[in-house]
Amino acid sequence: MMEMLSEVWAIFMRWNKKLVRQPILIFFNLIQPLVWFLLFTQAFSAIGNIPSFQILTGTSSYITFFTAAVIIQTIASSALNSGIGIVNDFDSGFMDKMRVAPIKKSSILFGRLFSSALTTIIQVAIILVIGLALGVNIASGILGTIVIFVLAALFGIAWSGISLFVALNTKNAETTLSVGLLTTFPLLFLSASVMPLGLLPGWVQQIAKVNPFTYIAEAFQSLIIKGFVWTNIQNSLIAILIVGVLSLGASILLFRRKIS
Amino acid sequence: MEENIIVVKDLHKTYGKNIIAVDGISFEVKKGEIFGFLGPNGAGKSTTIKILTTLLEKSSGKVTIDGLDIDDDQSKVRRIIGYSSQEVGVDDDLTARENLLLQCSFHHISKEKAKQKAEELLKTVRLVEAADRRLRTFSGGMRKRLDLASALVSEPKILFLDEPTTGLDPQSRQDIWEYIIKLNRQGMTIFLTTQYMEEADRLAGRLCIVDQGKIVAEGTPSELKAQIGADKITLHFKANDFASCDKAKELMEKIPDIQQVGQCRDGLVSENGLTLMTKNGSAMVTHVVRTMDKAGINIEQLNLSAPTLDEVFLKLTGKTLNVVERKEAISPRGRRRR
Repeated sequence: MMEMLSEVWAIFMRWNKKLVRQPILIFFNLIQPLVWFLLFTQAFSAIGNIPSFQILTGTSSYITFFTAAVIIQTIASSALNSGIGIVNDFDSGFMDKMRVAPIKKSSILFGRLFSSALTTIIQVAIILVIGLALGVNIASGILGTIVIFVLAALFGIAWSGISLFVALNTKNAETTLSVGLLTTFPLLFLSASVMPLGLLPGWVQQIAKVNPFTYIAEAFQSLIIKGFVWTNIQNSLIAILIVGVLSLGASILLFRRKIS
Repeated sequence: MEENIIVVKDLHKTYGKNIIAVDGISFEVKKGEIFGFLGPNGAGKSTTIKILTTLLEKSSGKVTIDGLDIDDDQSKVRRIIGYSSQEVGVDDDLTARENLLLQCSFHHISKEKAKQKAEELLKTVRLVEAADRRLRTFSGGMRKRLDLASALVSEPKILFLDEPTTGLDPQSRQDIWEYIIKLNRQGMTIFLTTQYMEEADRLAGRLCIVDQGKIVAEGTPSELKAQIGADKITLHFKANDFASCDKAKELMEKIPDIQQVGQCRDGLVSENGLTLMTKNGSAMVTHVVRTMDKAGINIEQLNLSAPTLDEVFLKLTGKTLNVVERKEAISPRGRRRR
């Protein structure tokens, strides 16, 4: 157990070092979410005037509501990088170096995941600061902000599992990238992150109800708009747990089994 | 005393349904020797080395490393081997020292000891001055040297080197060869694959020649050369002095120890000569010169050459190794060649 902790730590620190040496990567992932944050919310700001929107969400500010969607987008794009990093390791031969060393396969993955989670936290912090400047207040205060960070990190780890799975399967950066990009937007629009559930068309609601993004978004939305709504936090944790167990479980199994 | 440290029995590896990479290979590597796998691209060398280093699962066969079964004792095997891949598995964003320290932590070496170890290895591969530079700025030869050092942090019993000098310039190649020989003198068993005859000849105590997933010959370089049986003597005569050449040919064919006499003549000045294949070349030279002298034939030039592994390979497989020197060194990003 101690051995595994030190393995994870070594790999975690390796990725952190790599990140610090190329800090541009932190911002690179942020470009797209920020464009949405700044432009989409302006173009659609009138949504805040819809009475049923105000009733359902508890705010008349669309940008405040939309902050959750921006955070999720950031998490998804950061999660994407987890897989890309693994593909790069396969390409450079570094993966073989790790695999031939007496370390656990899961240490390789968790070291990567934790570093990716740290990146996510930094990115979310940047988003929230920009949000503050744009007039987004967090109703749950500092404590709630910490909960946002924790949920973001946990969901980041769980969602990274999907990108890891694709990366381990294909060992191809383009495929890993496309799968990530192609799933993020449809899932975002088929969830309660851009519109409250009640305003979505019936069929979209059906999909949104089984879409993990919905539960993560609702937790963020309530923390930002209302304060602590425990059922929402609880639901988001359940969603994270389900996604995490499936995606990470599959990745670890695949990594252990798949040799070549 | 001669203990087999690697034993491979009837190893097979098939990719998918019908791509056979390794087709029934068996061999033993003795403790303390340098054992070479020589063959062209696609012969199954890398596949074999990946199976031996636990990176790849075999389709069938039995492999033991230092008495440990490769399937049942995977993690124990990993503790006693070092591996340097063709791709050069180092992290370009880290410095040379950081790469070594990371490798140390993979082998659970304590911080203090790791620092010492890194310093020591940097000295061995002459990278002390570049120790705190990021690998991005390293040349192909430097990266390879560091890669070799990083395979040594655990003081492995057996070192596996997959084409250690492919893509390197001659000086770097020379350096790597020196390290390999030095390590071997210190008692390390080394298994290496190569597509260079010269490399196999220079380093390997024993070697297998592999082609299309099979071992076509096994032995020491000199044993293998002896298999094709002969030294080569070439005689050149004065331009257009075809009469001498013809006469010499007649005489040479009468000498029982000469296995084969070949005549080359295509009208070119340089091509008026004979090639003689014989067992004991140096003794035969004297005999040839005396015979010619007695017959009053003037020889312009005489060369004696030992057979090379190239000729062995040609004889065994009917093809030349035909290695085109890669002009491009291993690229700084170290992308995998396909």
